[in-house]
Amino acid sequence: MAANDAFRDLFFEEAEDLLATLSDDLVRLSAGEFDNEIVHSIFRAVHSIKGSAGAFSLEELVDFAHRYETVLDGVRSDRLELTPDLFRVVQRSADHLAVLVEAARTEQETDRAVTETALAALDACLCAASATGADPMPTASETPEAGPAQEEPQFGFVPLSLDLDSLAQTGPQSFDICFRPHPSLYENGHEPALLLAQLAELGHLETEIDLSALPHWSAPEIVEQALSWKLRLATDATQDAIEEVFDFVDGLCDLTIQAEGNDMPETVVQNGAPIETATTKLAEPDAAPTATCIEAETAEPASAAKSVAAADTPRPTLRVDLDRIERLFNAVGELIINQSMIAQRVDDLQLHHDADMAVHVESYRLLARDIQEAVMAIRAQPVKPLFQRMSRIVREAADGTGKQAQLVMVGEGTEVDKTVIERLADPLTHMIRNSVDHGLEGPEQRCANGKDPVGTIWLSAAHRSGSVVITIRDDGGGLDREKVLGVAVKKGLVPAGADLSESEIDNLIFLPGFSTASATSLLSGRGVGLDVVRTAVQSLGGRVNIVSRPGKGTEFTIALPLTLAVLDGMLISVGNISMLVPISAVLETIRPLAGEVQAVGPDECLLSIRGRFVPVIDLAANLGVPRAVEADAPMLLLLVETEARGTCALLVDRVHDQRQVVIKGLESNYGHVPGVSAATVLGDGQIALILDPDAIVAQNHGAGLRAVIPS
Amino acid sequence: MSVRENLRVMVIDDMGVSRALVTNALDEMGVIHYSAEADPKAALAKLSASPVHLVLCDMNMPGMNGLQLLEALRRQPATANIGFIVITGTPSPDIIQKGQALRLNNLVAKPFDTPKLRTAIEQVIGKRL
Repeated sequence: MAANDAFRDLFFEEAEDLLATLSDDLVRLSAGEFDNEIVHSIFRAVHSIKGSAGAFSLEELVDFAHRYETVLDGVRSDRLELTPDLFRVVQRSADHLAVLVEAARTEQETDRAVTETALAALDACLCAASATGADPMPTASETPEAGPAQEEPQFGFVPLSLDLDSLAQTGPQSFDICFRPHPSLYENGHEPALLLAQLAELGHLETEIDLSALPHWSAPEIVEQALSWKLRLATDATQDAIEEVFDFVDGLCDLTIQAEGNDMPETVVQNGAPIETATTKLAEPDAAPTATCIEAETAEPASAAKSVAAADTPRPTLRVDLDRIERLFNAVGELIINQSMIAQRVDDLQLHHDADMAVHVESYRLLARDIQEAVMAIRAQPVKPLFQRMSRIVREAADGTGKQAQLVMVGEGTEVDKTVIERLADPLTHMIRNSVDHGLEGPEQRCANGKDPVGTIWLSAAHRSGSVVITIRDDGGGLDREKVLGVAVKKGLVPAGADLSESEIDNLIFLPGFSTASATSLLSGRGVGLDVVRTAVQSLGGRVNIVSRPGKGTEFTIALPLTLAVLDGMLISVGNISMLVPISAVLETIRPLAGEVQAVGPDECLLSIRGRFVPVIDLAANLGVPRAVEADAPMLLLLVETEARGTCALLVDRVHDQRQVVIKGLESNYGHVPGVSAATVLGDGQIALILDPDAIVAQNHGAGLRAVIPS
Repeated sequence: MSVRENLRVMVIDDMGVSRALVTNALDEMGVIHYSAEADPKAALAKLSASPVHLVLCDMNMPGMNGLQLLEALRRQPATANIGFIVITGTPSPDIIQKGQALRLNNLVAKPFDTPKLRTAIEQVIGKRL
């Protein structure tokens, strides 16, 4: 069948979900949880992928999934024992299946040889089983005959024809309906006569009114629920259609609908609501208005279906075009800016004395933040799929280097902005490869050091004070600092004989041009060093750190902002220009005392703070703006943490306050400005530049700082 | 009214793609009254409340497979005579045997196309669609 593109997209979306389930199940299996239901679930996932892939003529995928499924079927029916070796094959096959699905999605050529190898591994398992096993096992050469590629149904099934006429119930079916309106039905403006008229449209309706409860006309009180009807409807319509008529009076009347015929009562019992109970209730004069028969009949299966849905299927979701979300995102950004403008305007006009106005402005602010958070939550996704991909990378890398490694994931439910996840994939892949390749030792060496021959890599994600922290930790040998320093010196990255602290040496591996070439293997030696990782993380507004303990392992920490749309910044001004410094970079603000700032050389200054010397960088000079304060005004320094040069002090004119701003990219609207990462619009309508302290520090050309040193 | 306008069908498959492919084929055949269910247990409840003429059902589903669903349907009088076609990627002898015992009406192998599905349905209802 020429399955169209919409189906194709649906297939890949579902295949991705199935692969995730598969991966989860395999993790559970490897954790020692052996349960037939898990094997069934794995089988089903592979089977479903195969079944649907067939419709899109993805032959390689179908063939592979078919062979894989045969092995899994063996495991599930106890013809194959799940030995560690077999489990390895099962795991690798899951990886390969993911590769094939991805290749099919992107319509790329696959390496047929890899598939052949994977198929051979599966065949080997089947052969081993048929050699030893007492039970006959379909071998690979046999299976294609019964496989999905076959054209004509040769399975010898004789179709059983159906007597459609008997089933179609050619004659109309009769329903007995009891209808007793509650007073609330009348109060809500419903009219029984109209309901009955509507019923009559469905077929032949006989009505009988029950006036027994009607008081004598001379009685002074109006009796509630005086009228009820016994109806008999002969119709072709289904019970659902009849119930639909009463949809709007649901809960406002007592209603029983009973189909005439021998089978229906059983159906009702099957649904868990014995009809007797319901009718008894109806007979009671003061039956609770909610205990209607119709509810008793329908509530049970509905709730059962709901619980089933909750257990077996994910919560209902809506797939939305990303562009629409982007639009919403931009609009919310504008809303936040507009809100702060209005707040500021109200402030300027001194309207805040008006209590009402203050309340409205405040609720506007809260509403705007609420909307912003809600919109951000739309883009947030769990890191789990990304982490699962990493577990594949670990296996590939381990196979490639002849090491044994396992990945332990922690906090994979942590949610992060979609863009961040996407842009994190490459650096994370690289770091994971690096950890297996350079971090972990070979099995022999690990044994010699008294470690488990299987190395462990921990990958964890957590939210920490407005940012996401991702750590990659291995239990390998840690960095060989001597070698790292040696390489750095040889490559001229640091002068020979430089006295560097341990952490400074560790951080050398992030330098561009640093690559421990002697140790690069096929895997991580792909011409990219960890500097690429650092650049990628920085472009996301994050930072990466390394902690290494010799003999114990290495830990990389990536700290990222939760979103790329808003930023917490410190508002400063230099000259007449307002600027923001990302709060994540700011350590403290200080007014140095006389003597705390020392001139070094012609135009360099150092701040002496708590026994350390920190270079002072003049922002005004670096950005080419005149200072707005008198030369003898007290110095104001902003201590920032940078990747390249550690702590630096930025000389600014004024520090205003800390605020949250909406980031507006400059690249698309204007162009790249060195030292500036983006811009924003402040509450007073002014545009403020968002500084990139790292870039500023890196391009620093100190100028005439001597003049401003407090004497 | 023609058969295809009268025929009421339920499609049961846990995979959205398969459901879409089957219902698409039904659209091409001009079958109007069909519904699709992802969960076999929910489908059973719905069929019990309001039976259809014909069920087109996947084999491998979580919770309950196609033949188990068929068995449950055959056991209650209201749905005992419902038409049931299994659509499966692996029509094994085992499925055929169990299916015949449960008065399975027909079997369609995946991948299928519209003519193939049409033939399978026509074999069951004994009429041209």
